[in-house]
Amino acid sequence: MSVLITYLIPILGSTVYTATPLIFASVGGAYSVRGGVMALGLESMMMCGAFCGVVGSYYTGSVAIGFLSGILGGMLIALLHAILCVNFRVNQVISGVGLNLLATAMTTLLMQVIWGNKGTSEMVASVEGTLGGPIPILNAQSFNFFVMVAVVALGWVLLFKTRYGLRLRMVGENPKAASAVGLKVHALKYSGVLICGALAGYGGAFLSLDQLNMFVRGMTAGRGYIAVAITILGRYNPVNIVLSALLFGFCDAVQIYLQGQGIPAQLIQMLPYAATLIVLAVGVRRIQPPAGVGQHESD
Amino acid sequence: MEAVQMRSITKWFGSLCALDHVDFSVREGEIHSLLGENGAGKSTLMNVLYGMLPCDEGEVLIHGKPAQIRHPSQAIELGIGMVHQHFMLTPVMTVTENVIVGGEPVNGPFVDYRSAVRQVQEMIDRYHFGIDANTKVQNLSVGEQQRVEILKALYRGANILILDEPTAVLTPQEVQELFAVLRDLKAAGKSIIIITHKLKETAAIADRVSVLRSGKMIDSGLEASRCSVNDLALMMVGRKVDLTFTRRSQCVGQVAFEVQNLNLAVKGVPVLKNLSLKVRKGQILGIAGIEGNGQTELIEVLTGLRRPDSAVILKDGKPFSGNASDFLTAGVGHIPEDRLSRGLVTPMSIEDNVILGYHRRPRFAGKGIRRSADIRAFADEKLAEFQIKAETVQTPCSALSGGNQQKVIVARVFSEDPDILIAAQPTRGVDVGAQEFIHNRLLDLRDEGKAIVLISADLDEVRRLSDRVAVIYDGRIVAENDHDVWDEMELGLLMTGGKGGVTA
Amino acid sequence: MKKNLAISRAALKNSSLVISAAAMVISMLISALIMAICGYNPFEAYSAILTGAFGSLRGIAQTLAQATPLIFTGLAFAFAKKASLINLGVEGQMYMGALGAALVGITDLGLPAIVHVPLAVLAGFLFGAAYAAIIGGLKVKFGSNEVVAGVMLNSIAGYFINYLLNGVLLAEGSSVAQTERVCQTARLPRIFSSYQVTIAVFLAVVVCIAVRWFISHTVLGYEIRSVGMNKKAAETAGIHISKALIVAMCVSGGIAGLAGANQVLGVDRRLISDFSPGYGFNGISVSALAADNPLGVILAGLIFGILRAGALELNRSTGIPVEFVDVIQAMVVIFVSAPLMIRHMGKLTRIFRKKPAGKEV
Repeated sequence: MSVLITYLIPILGSTVYTATPLIFASVGGAYSVRGGVMALGLESMMMCGAFCGVVGSYYTGSVAIGFLSGILGGMLIALLHAILCVNFRVNQVISGVGLNLLATAMTTLLMQVIWGNKGTSEMVASVEGTLGGPIPILNAQSFNFFVMVAVVALGWVLLFKTRYGLRLRMVGENPKAASAVGLKVHALKYSGVLICGALAGYGGAFLSLDQLNMFVRGMTAGRGYIAVAITILGRYNPVNIVLSALLFGFCDAVQIYLQGQGIPAQLIQMLPYAATLIVLAVGVRRIQPPAGVGQHESD
Repeated sequence: MEAVQMRSITKWFGSLCALDHVDFSVREGEIHSLLGENGAGKSTLMNVLYGMLPCDEGEVLIHGKPAQIRHPSQAIELGIGMVHQHFMLTPVMTVTENVIVGGEPVNGPFVDYRSAVRQVQEMIDRYHFGIDANTKVQNLSVGEQQRVEILKALYRGANILILDEPTAVLTPQEVQELFAVLRDLKAAGKSIIIITHKLKETAAIADRVSVLRSGKMIDSGLEASRCSVNDLALMMVGRKVDLTFTRRSQCVGQVAFEVQNLNLAVKGVPVLKNLSLKVRKGQILGIAGIEGNGQTELIEVLTGLRRPDSAVILKDGKPFSGNASDFLTAGVGHIPEDRLSRGLVTPMSIEDNVILGYHRRPRFAGKGIRRSADIRAFADEKLAEFQIKAETVQTPCSALSGGNQQKVIVARVFSEDPDILIAAQPTRGVDVGAQEFIHNRLLDLRDEGKAIVLISADLDEVRRLSDRVAVIYDGRIVAENDHDVWDEMELGLLMTGGKGGVTA
Repeated sequence: MKKNLAISRAALKNSSLVISAAAMVISMLISALIMAICGYNPFEAYSAILTGAFGSLRGIAQTLAQATPLIFTGLAFAFAKKASLINLGVEGQMYMGALGAALVGITDLGLPAIVHVPLAVLAGFLFGAAYAAIIGGLKVKFGSNEVVAGVMLNSIAGYFINYLLNGVLLAEGSSVAQTERVCQTARLPRIFSSYQVTIAVFLAVVVCIAVRWFISHTVLGYEIRSVGMNKKAAETAGIHISKALIVAMCVSGGIAGLAGANQVLGVDRRLISDFSPGYGFNGISVSALAADNPLGVILAGLIFGILRAGALELNRSTGIPVEFVDVIQAMVVIFVSAPLMIRHMGKLTRIFRKKPAGKEV
């Protein structure tokens, strides 16, 4: 019993906490892919969200405005991605990779311009305090836990129960068919990618304003790519995404816990990345993305 | 009253004039056949009408009113519906979802699936379509999928219905069913445009005919009852062609290639079931069947692309097995059913494509290094021999027309003098000239004593070229006989699994 | 005559050279704009870069030193791209190559330099290739997305090498995570004794030429190209797709390993933790600017070498962050991949349209 309280509950609390930003980004990724646009740019959207979140908070002192800026930052990258992939038919992988490079470079550059330091930003107003209360695991979370739950629930309803969701999925499965029944394919694709950007941006802002209180160079550290893997493993369904994100959160939590246990830190830090590799290898083989990913309404 | 009037429509694709001042009109409540061979511009014209393509010049009037149709949604609003040749359906979704998308009934913020299913099922019953609104489209037959496409148009209130090559994938029986549906729709006051290159069907269903050739309207609005099939053929092709020309094998030899008890399951579902076939030297074995009855997998097994779960393959009486490379080396040539996905690496040049698969042969490469000069000389020679229309052999295949692309594949296979040829859909989507050319080369090869397996969805092609005909249904050869035993309707019945097949 | 001109104009408009040049110019202009907004003078900056890169022997040496790893990593990326593989794991493969070269380099084998140096370089190639084989294997066997796998393996390589450098390989008495210096016999000779540019810059050029020949004149190169452009058609032609993909990935990783070997055997003369400022990712830009053409990689590597070398000088003199070169590089990737966009811009400005044609005349 005491083992449970001392080890398991903190680890599970940490699991949810580290999974939260991944869930935001991956649910966003699901919207992008369901609309037929690959989500390899998630890393850049998170990065930009994290950065803009800190900038917003730095200049206004308001955490709320920080998160709002984070959303806008993610959407800015998403807009670029949509312009490139939808209007100019750029290879979606290359566009994603290019934007990831751009986000890393721009945030580092702007960090020096704003704070004169290329390593970290100044500390800014961030999410203070936890929910507390009697429920273990939950009491260590912030209000963002409820935001996450709402995003997942609404994300699922919007995708599978509404007119918009049906149309978005139709575009992702078969853009030509969607166009032939009169759907506005471009607008729908844009919407999917922009939702993706907003959520990934929020996830990024969570990293910089909830988990930390500053921006650190390259702070997403591949989480955007892990989110891509989670999106696939979750079969592009917000509810399943939660389960697969918790799996990664658990790896991360165990990793943090093990760091105090005398095993070389560098080896333990590999854990989340190795887990992603293993999942990619064995977990996602049978999962088919929507048939129309990367296609255009007229070829 | 004219339902559709298109005046002086002109459309350029780069420097190619796809439509040259075309006039076209359709009366209300008639079935109008738009006739022309592949590449004549029929689909382009209809895509302009449906708002899928903008035209460079010309105007469109719908029910006498000028209309600017820039997007399919505008066409739909004007009551135009289109059933595309390649179905525009999402296989993983249900019939209802496919039909309602874009005009969903809603209940508050949510799609009202219950009333949607009810509405769709009512329509299905009214037109006797005989499908279940809750089935996923991937579980429907081709003919049923076509009915879903028609439902989509009707659901949107279409009174002008365009059908692009609607009979290309149907059996003769399904064609009759389709025609019955179309007559019902006509009786309900709908105007129907059928895009086709099939003359017999035009004669059977159309009230009036318009003929397009190379982007020009040759004649428009002819009474179908007053035209002979030969007149129409002449208008369509522009010269006399004998589409019934053929010759039968004079000398059938030993069994060259034989498959016994072929079984194959894909993802746990049996696709080929105890299938056996054999083809002799100097013989064309035609395999007729509706698409999706195991042809693709059969072709893959016959060319070494897929390993069967169990089978005995005999070449010249000796057991034979291996991968695609082994089959090619052993002289089993392959004309793939889809030239764009399996046949060609389209971004590469003609010279690179015309040796693809044979690129390790000593005359093209030695010690792992390509003999570039020899390859070029070879490609130049083939360009002339097979009348491939291209400026140089460095032209990428993506820049060629469908017919010329197919000729590159045929040149490649025939140059290696295969003992056995697996020819799948060898003339799909090519113009009449290329079709004649390829058919003649196939017959020549057969007369040289080679064995050919011809798999084609085009029943006319199978009947015309084959010395023996086998019918594939549900992964089995359900009947096999000499070419002249069955007529078209009997074959059609066999293709849908109907009884009466006797293997002699 | 007029017709000829029209044809050459059309050909030029579509050629990748024009797209690349336009992408480079647009990216530099946007960067200038960003610099101006940030309060720096872009004219001063660009002229300072040019003098920094060419103004002195030191500048030229610095340019070549910067260009060397970029040519290697750019070529590595371009090679994988021939098989339509996006090798985002170049960075990790470079680190593993560096590790291989270091292991052979710090061991005193009692060999003369003429044997020891090639051996160490070869070790770099093989380590990089072996590490890339993991991505290829995952792709072929499980259909894993090579982009995500590459990024994960980058992180893993980074942690793994840091683990070694803080443990078994740590130089005696060193407070920094680094190995012992490599043996005298394993050092890549420097071209100018006091600057970091080594003869590896020639090796880089030779490898580019060799790759170019391999791609267009060997059967395997032809097969890799076919697989890259249409897997199903290649399969139908009896080409072993898995083999082609793994070979492409291994060669790509091997070339990336050479970049690491140069760093260890020539530049730092030891393996230092986190030595790369992102050479692996810069390779993507180099490859993009070169339109994946192996010979173009040489030129593209030099261009970015100039920018980097000049920017280092610039940073020292004016304090403008070096990262704006990264911004230019990232934008090049985006613009080169969007020829439709560049044509669109060309139509808008019209000036761009006349320029290349004018040059031709």
